[in-house]
Amino acid sequence: MTNGTISIRDALYESPGPKAKKIIAAATVLSLVVLAALIYLVIHQFYITGQLDSRYWSVFARASTWRYLGKGLLGTLKVALGSSLVAFAIAMVMMLGRLSSIRPVSWIAVALIELSRGIPTLLFIYFFFLVPSQFGIMLPVYWKITLPVAISASGVVAETLRSGVNAVPKGQTEAALSLGMTDGKVFFKIVFPQAFRYVIPSLIAELVIVLKDTTFAYVVSYADMMLNARVLISNYDALLAVYLVVAVIYIIINYLLHRAAVFMAGHRKTAAA
Amino acid sequence: MTIQELLAQFGDKYLQALITTYQLTFISFFLATILGVIITVMRVSPIRPLQIAADFYVQIFRNIPGAALLILLVYALPYLNIVLPYFTAVLIATTLIPSSFCSEYLMSGMNTIGAGQIEAARSLGMTFMQMIRHVVMPQAIRSSVLPMTNLLVATMLTTALASQVPLNPTDLTGIVSYINTHAVGGITAFLISAVLYCGTAVIIGQIGNQIDRKVRILR
Repeated sequence: MTNGTISIRDALYESPGPKAKKIIAAATVLSLVVLAALIYLVIHQFYITGQLDSRYWSVFARASTWRYLGKGLLGTLKVALGSSLVAFAIAMVMMLGRLSSIRPVSWIAVALIELSRGIPTLLFIYFFFLVPSQFGIMLPVYWKITLPVAISASGVVAETLRSGVNAVPKGQTEAALSLGMTDGKVFFKIVFPQAFRYVIPSLIAELVIVLKDTTFAYVVSYADMMLNARVLISNYDALLAVYLVVAVIYIIINYLLHRAAVFMAGHRKTAAA
Repeated sequence: MTIQELLAQFGDKYLQALITTYQLTFISFFLATILGVIITVMRVSPIRPLQIAADFYVQIFRNIPGAALLILLVYALPYLNIVLPYFTAVLIATTLIPSSFCSEYLMSGMNTIGAGQIEAARSLGMTFMQMIRHVVMPQAIRSSVLPMTNLLVATMLTTALASQVPLNPTDLTGIVSYINTHAVGGITAFLISAVLYCGTAVIIGQIGNQIDRKVRILR
């Protein structure tokens, strides 16, 4: 797509002749008409149901609305950051376990990774929401959402880290061992720093998973952007407008994270070349 | 509660929940695959507005949180005079999100084929349809086995969204909160659902690996 490589999109078609050009032009016009009609239909539906009315959208003219949503976003980011760090810590342990030469340890790690990857985040959230209190453990609301999101992401992160470790050439380990380094030193001073650099783009992409999962914070009543949106709605009676704007904010943040991951991946490739 | 007591009291409910989850998973996966293929065809078509619209579609649905999408479908659409049954709303959410990922997998699968092969096919005088049938599709389908198994598992995990709306019978996640509000199910109630989810994921993964081993292209 960049750097002179031809994407499949461009390669599939040769430069069109006069006949093909006409067909493409006609199809372009036709598709534009269809898309415009679709957009018109959506706006029309908003119009006839009165949802374009300024009283629904004037909420966003107030600074207080944005301040409140911003406060919610801060809550969202706090959970996302906490979850990411905890997930990384758990993932490191899982990955080291999986790579361990002691068989039972690696079996247990594989089982834990499969569990983390095969169970929906919501089930983990309900677990932390409902179970600790049955045993008299009072978990702060923040951890009721942060821990399950972290556990749910840790399996994926562990596998990502492992793929990074596997990507480091074996010669590096052999060279380091022949210099008399211990196993631990070889891993943490030679192999892991390189592995980590390999997987930075994937790790950024996995932040998207974490950020999406934080939207379930309303289950445990943690004040994230979603919950604050709900409060705004009960105050201003503008459900459609508020949820739509909030969804767009989430989409934009995740899109930027996704772009950052793609950028880092491209950056690394050009740096290596 | 022991596992026997729990199963004696709620066993049939668990079975119904499992069926609901499987229903949602397989219907969504089927629809998401079809939608994903259509979107991908639009993305590689030479028609610019379709490309842009399809790219836009993918960015929207791969980046929207499932909860946000479901809330829009269930609580916001009625304001536009569109009222969906709960099951349909969940089904739409668990179809749209995986469909965007499906398209991404297909695109990256096609990109691994490489422009060189297309150029070679063209220099052999193949028509566009011949290229698609004999060069692109056979490789794209073979290399998409593992991503598709991952997509099936991801779709199953997404169907947990069903627990966020009142559904009867509910799904494997909903049943757990149901039991915990009606009786003290404790850890066991979670364990049953977790094992059912995870067991399904492992079985899907194993089948995927088996198929992949048979059709894989060694590069």
